[in-house]
Amino acid sequence: MNARILGLAAVLGALVRPPAAAAQVERLAGRLDERTRAAVTAIVDSVRAAGVPGDPLVNKALEGASKGADGARIVAAVRALAAGLARARAALGTGASEPELVAGAAALRAGAAPSFLERLRGDFPREPLVVPLAVMADLVGRGVPPDTAAVSVLALVRAGVREADLVAFRQSVERDIALGAPAGAAATARAASVGDLATTGVPSTAGQTAPAPHPRKP
Amino acid sequence: MHGSAEDPLIARIAAELRQPPAAHPDFDARVMAAVRRVPPSLPARAWTWLREPRILAVSPLGGLAAAAGVAALIVAGAWAAARPGRAGGRASIAGAPAAARVTPTPVTFVFMAPGARSVAVAGDFDGWDRARMPMRRDPSGLWTLDVPLSPGRYQYVFVVDGRRFVADPAAPRAVGDDFGQPTSVVTVAGGASRAAGGSL
Repeated sequence: MNARILGLAAVLGALVRPPAAAAQVERLAGRLDERTRAAVTAIVDSVRAAGVPGDPLVNKALEGASKGADGARIVAAVRALAAGLARARAALGTGASEPELVAGAAALRAGAAPSFLERLRGDFPREPLVVPLAVMADLVGRGVPPDTAAVSVLALVRAGVREADLVAFRQSVERDIALGAPAGAAATARAASVGDLATTGVPSTAGQTAPAPHPRKP
Repeated sequence: MHGSAEDPLIARIAAELRQPPAAHPDFDARVMAAVRRVPPSLPARAWTWLREPRILAVSPLGGLAAAAGVAALIVAGAWAAARPGRAGGRASIAGAPAAARVTPTPVTFVFMAPGARSVAVAGDFDGWDRARMPMRRDPSGLWTLDVPLSPGRYQYVFVVDGRRFVADPAAPRAVGDDFGQPTSVVTVAGGASRAAGGSL
């Protein structure tokens, strides 16, 4: 019965699907069994109406297929990602780009509070936030407490550091952790160092001058 | 009343009764005139107006202009649905910052695996295909591959000998693994190339 319902939903979805969306779900052909494909397609179609992009969901399903996961696990992962993307969109606004939503969902999953995303967007409504969000998530992946990672990244972005310097900051923290430094302390210390350099305009940790492109926030 | 059906009197009466009553010759006309004087209700008039066939006179030039207008609407709708930047579209949502739509940046994936027969990269950027992006080996056993990527955050793994998934030791790990195997992450900033890679 469920398979019939999912099949019907997939057929109905195919009838009303725009061309770009059809191309997304066509990538699932031959990679998933019929039941899983119908379920993933139904999720993609349902969230698209809410402004959530479908490509990351299709990618997640393909990742599961490539890694040999069973259908139930793939559908659960796609559903969880859809929820994360929707939360990221709610926090970042309807104008957020797809890469921003992907990075935002990763940051939320890492433990960032939605208010962190809202504050970033509020401070920089027209700037791309992919790198700050991704760096935050990556730091948590290396063991930095989510709150510490969020505060560090927010401070650096407000200080006007460039994207390349944010990536360099993350790499520096990773090196410190690999050398035995506590993750939270490494992030705090490196953030203070990079932030000071950024605001004074001397060569940054990436070996490039880092003039502040944004006015410093109070 | 036995045998009454054969009674001539009754038969004559029955024959008289079977005759239709005589009406005035213009009775029907007067009834229809009275009916036409009653105004129909608004819905009834609207329904009648909708059902009445009409003939539209359109010049060839007017017809061509109308057809061109319809075609333009269809093309504009298809373009709007397919263009990057639309919600649910391929690249980004309408109103996205311009920096999110810059040209791809080359990212070099590096992996040291002297004993491997083949190494490929599989990730969000290639549909997680195990064989679509094979890496090249140098004599020392270093496998490399340049992949142009648009700004964003991508998950990936190295596929060793076509079946074994190995996370990039030199890259951050994705927080939370959905499928029981560690996955690496590469973040591409706008306009800066990056090297990703580790060793086995």
